[in-house]
Amino acid sequence: MLVEGCGAGAGKPSSEATLLVTRDFGRTVLADENRPDIRGADTVMRLLQRNARVTTRFGGGFVQSIDGLAGGQEDGRPVDWFFYVDGALSERGAADVRVGDGAAIWWDHHDWGSGPAGGAAVVGSFPAPFRDAPTRLACLPARSAACETARLALRRAGARVEDATAGSVADGRGPGMLVGAYAAIRAAPSARMLEEGPGASGVYARPSRDGRSVALLDERARPTRTLRAGAGLVAATRRGDRPAVWSVTGTDGPGVEAAAGALDQRRLGERFAVAVTAGATVALPDGGTP
Amino acid sequence: MRTARATAGAAFCAALVLCGLVYEHPLVLGALCLATLAAGRLAGAGAQLSRAAKLCLLAAPLVVAINLVANRNGLTVFWRLGEVPPFGQLDLTLEALAYGGALALRLAVMVLVAALFGAAVDVDALLLGARRVSARSGLTAVLAVRLVPVLARDARRLDEARRCRWDGGGSGPAARLAVLRAICAGTLDRAADAAAALEVRGYATAGRPRRARSPWSRQDLAFAAAAAALIAIAVAGRVAGIASFDAVPALDVPTRSAELALAAALVVTALAPFAARRGNAR
Repeated sequence: MLVEGCGAGAGKPSSEATLLVTRDFGRTVLADENRPDIRGADTVMRLLQRNARVTTRFGGGFVQSIDGLAGGQEDGRPVDWFFYVDGALSERGAADVRVGDGAAIWWDHHDWGSGPAGGAAVVGSFPAPFRDAPTRLACLPARSAACETARLALRRAGARVEDATAGSVADGRGPGMLVGAYAAIRAAPSARMLEEGPGASGVYARPSRDGRSVALLDERARPTRTLRAGAGLVAATRRGDRPAVWSVTGTDGPGVEAAAGALDQRRLGERFAVAVTAGATVALPDGGTP
Repeated sequence: MRTARATAGAAFCAALVLCGLVYEHPLVLGALCLATLAAGRLAGAGAQLSRAAKLCLLAAPLVVAINLVANRNGLTVFWRLGEVPPFGQLDLTLEALAYGGALALRLAVMVLVAALFGAAVDVDALLLGARRVSARSGLTAVLAVRLVPVLARDARRLDEARRCRWDGGGSGPAARLAVLRAICAGTLDRAADAAAALEVRGYATAGRPRRARSPWSRQDLAFAAAAAALIAIAVAGRVAGIASFDAVPALDVPTRSAELALAAALVVTALAPFAARRGNAR
């Protein structure tokens, strides 16, 4: 999604980029621009500066505040602005990342004490992560209703879907998606990261090793409740700088189908990850509301 | 300005520096540069100010270039350099250019005022005043100031001696470094000699000197009043929000009649003490 190039002037503007500014893991939307002001081959920083009041640090390399909401300490916890490009946490400064065509730029102000040092991914930018490179889809079992639901959702979103195995889903060429009960997909390292909690996966839910339950966590990684039969989970993880692998999983078959059914923009939008229980979608980290 | 008392001259220079620090607006900084150059010429320090101006002209492109590369702010891109390690995506923006220009102008104000101060203010007289506060500090400062030209003369003599050697004494940075090393080594000797001379002459027992009272001349009053007026104009303009300068995120350089009037007022006030040239001697 990055635009290369140098030359005179501002360059060719990227088209169809979106800009979302939220706080507290997407719970509160501060700005949602489907057609943000963009001129030339803007960087993420410049796109933000054109569309919000921004203060910066380090000579304009890092965002300190957006519309008056600043990084620093809140209740003794470190908070900051983080940005995601097509659902992947950027590991470069906003002034170093150019906005590509159709890029989904998401700024969120949140506590970073419990999250990973890097390599996190979120589901709230769906379907942007699947638009460019072919998506590797691995279903366990290979033919299931949940698998077909997921395939259909990806195709509707404009993704090119390639079948893969659990071992090859994270081959680094494009985004991947694992569909199946957690007990089945945990063989894949990208899914097994979920068991290690938000410090490793960036996902505020922790499935048990046997896959029969999923503990939902709040933003400080404290358990709020445990979901059992019929519960689903849609979460994205990244290993290093590889593309994200989405886990569309659950405690059992109905849970996986519920998770696959949640693959649409309306249910995933502005969320870091979601759990599905009794037909309801729970945004993660969990605020504790039943 | 040379005939005014040192404190008045120093206050005048300090006021010019304060104006340069308070404002970032290029028009105001440019006006301060012009005012300082003109003041230097009227004070008979045109040659020193010219040298300082040449130094500023050499340094300004460097300041602008560094700011252009290091400052990531600004929305108006005029050139994209792509990925440039270690800077990352490097876009040159009009705002960073303008901000760099303002920084260079501010630097020029400081350098020019420092040159004016060095050429037109009696530093010894200023340091005499410091003796009443701390005799030893005043003496140390006077000695340090006096030793600089002495060391420069030493350097010239050593360099001449080097060039008079049968083999030419070498050339280039190595030869210059040898002279510098000799000067640095000689500095300690000179310091020890000065300390011994002061000790023998009983400076260690020197008490607080009496205040030397002398009436304020017309020149003293003119420069002191100009200093006060410059500070008043600068503060008033700032409070009134005149000549604000924003380069982030987009360039905003208001150039209305208020800014023009402020720049003109600063120039006129800075040059006013030079209007009455009659009776310069106190």
